[in-house]
Amino acid sequence: MSAGRILVVDDDPQIRRAMRASLTARGYEVEDARSGEEALGKLRQESFDLVLLDMNMPGMGGEETCRLIRTGSEIAIIMLTVSSAEKDKVAALDAGADDYVTKPFSTPELLARIRATLRRSPQALQKGLQKLKLGTVEVDFDSRQTTTRGRTVRLTPKEFELLSYLVARPNRTITHRELLQGVWGPDYGDELEYLRVFINRLRKKIESDPAKPRFLLTDAWAGYRFHPPA
Amino acid sequence: MAKFRRLALQVSAALGVVAALTFVFFDLIRINATTAGFFYLVAILMIATSWGLFESTVASVVAMLCFNYFFFPPVGTFTVADPQNWIALFAFLATALTGSQLSARLKRQKQQAEDRRLEMERLYALSRALLLVDSTLPAAKQIANQIAQAFDFSAVAIYDRSTGTVDRAGPDNLADIDLKLREAVLQSTVILDKSGDLTITPIRLGGEPIGSLAISSAALSDAALQSILNLVAIGMERARAQAAVNRAEVSRQSEALKSTLLDAVAHEFKSPLTSIKAVTTDLLDQTPGLPPQQKELIAIADQGVDRLERLVSEAIQLARIEGGKFGLNKGVHFPSSLIAAAIRQMKPLTEGREIRLQAPDDLPLVLVDAELIEMVIRQLLDNALKYAPAAPITITAQAKQDAIIISVADQGPGIAEHDQARIFDKFYRSSASGAQVKGTGMGLAIAREILRAHDCDIWVQSEPGAGAEFSFSLPLAPPERLS
Repeated sequence: MSAGRILVVDDDPQIRRAMRASLTARGYEVEDARSGEEALGKLRQESFDLVLLDMNMPGMGGEETCRLIRTGSEIAIIMLTVSSAEKDKVAALDAGADDYVTKPFSTPELLARIRATLRRSPQALQKGLQKLKLGTVEVDFDSRQTTTRGRTVRLTPKEFELLSYLVARPNRTITHRELLQGVWGPDYGDELEYLRVFINRLRKKIESDPAKPRFLLTDAWAGYRFHPPA
Repeated sequence: MAKFRRLALQVSAALGVVAALTFVFFDLIRINATTAGFFYLVAILMIATSWGLFESTVASVVAMLCFNYFFFPPVGTFTVADPQNWIALFAFLATALTGSQLSARLKRQKQQAEDRRLEMERLYALSRALLLVDSTLPAAKQIANQIAQAFDFSAVAIYDRSTGTVDRAGPDNLADIDLKLREAVLQSTVILDKSGDLTITPIRLGGEPIGSLAISSAALSDAALQSILNLVAIGMERARAQAAVNRAEVSRQSEALKSTLLDAVAHEFKSPLTSIKAVTTDLLDQTPGLPPQQKELIAIADQGVDRLERLVSEAIQLARIEGGKFGLNKGVHFPSSLIAAAIRQMKPLTEGREIRLQAPDDLPLVLVDAELIEMVIRQLLDNALKYAPAAPITITAQAKQDAIIISVADQGPGIAEHDQARIFDKFYRSSASGAQVKGTGMGLAIAREILRAHDCDIWVQSEPGAGAEFSFSLPLAPPERLS
């Protein structure tokens, strides 16, 4: 049985070759695409579990491709960036990626990220929580979507996990490190920008006024806290 | 001289008019004294209006004498028989003089009004011309030309204090004026040159002299001169502001081009490195049964890739920094994360070395360009590893007032005092480092440039024989950046 279907999108043929060899050896099924346009075409025709998406590609860049994938899909996306500059990391996450890896990366590191991204944590479901009403927003933990006045927005897997993790521990400040390790995995802990971007994304989906959050609160210097509705 | 000749001519003409009237009324048409007096007055008023006060005054006196000599009895003498005629004679003189004065004043005012109008017109033309100064050519030269053209001055010179240049315009060549122009600026006073009606005035903007203006002109009112100076000051300042904007734009564009180029270079170098790295790491990870000799060979290739990757990154960073200005990608970071990342990036070099990390968990966050600060830490760590082989290295981070201080201390041979001051200079290598340690002498200079860009400092404390401690400060993240 396949460990998962992965679409590798990179304009460099050598990188595609290396990825295909490494990932196939680990039991993944691999397809590749040379450009964002080709990737979008393949995603329409076949189903994948994860996309490895190069950020710097000629034509439609990685960011734009990521944004377009996100308009219709919650598939796991890992971006491959050249620069480890903060602005590029944030740009990747803002475009909707679940994680990113800086080139050149080591294969074990990439594999760890793929496993972490594909991992599903069952935290919220263990407590039997299925629906949660936050003001005018209803979160459905079964279908992983939120509904606001009849409008439905789906949560990406990582957004969903982050929300589940916080909801399962109400009224407690969760430190950045705990949150990163709990949701992304034990290899994480220093990636503050992940939290900033993902909490912002979540607030846009579940808070009626994302600038003045009522449920997902920031505890400056320390971490984040879920404040359940009365 | 021309003035005197004209005056003499007009006085003669005035006297001629008086003589002609006397001749007509005494010899040709005999009329009584009263009528003759009126005719004299009319002639004098006309002389005053058309020529001036001096001419009409001379004409008045001569007319009074003629009036007396030819028309008052006894005719043909200057004696006056009837005392009443004395009164008439003086009344005539007083009327002639007063009338002359009034007419001349009227004429002068009219002339002045005409002059002001002309000056206004010329100032207006000048101000319009100055708005159209071509920003790609030197401004002072154009301004001087416009003034000379608008006012028909025979010579104009402008001294620009900021550039030290003198620009001239007009048919006359003000050759030996440079010193006087500078003097006018330095002493901030007006200098009048008697030979050739030359006025040298400082050009002030907001009280500050920014240059001086020399004008060769006979008649120019103070108000007009002041207006010209204001226009010139505004024109020069406008040109300077425009030049500054142009320079900034050129610099911004070349900065953007450089950044794009460097991004492309980074991408081109890193793509092949990425595929090699993926392969070497995969081989090392995936095949546990690999013979030790093959594993060693792959490890060499893997470390070579790491080293090459670091070289490429730092060469690109260096290229960015060396341009003088470079954009910082500032973000909020944990000091300990920066240190941990730097140690992680140094991996193969730190193997088998003892590195102690002393950083409290509750350190405040810093606002820095993480990539660059990690580069500074790597540089210091690299130095410690190279210069103090086999001794433990201690990295500490501590909060001090409004900054975080990060220090990298080794227990190596230390740095001689005379080297400590110069160790951050570009290309400087301490006398002790000599041949044993490889390096470019760039590392600490780059580190200092990076910290300067953060408005921070780097320094070293060392006692020869007792190790060296390099420390630098980092700015705390302001509270509004923490949410």
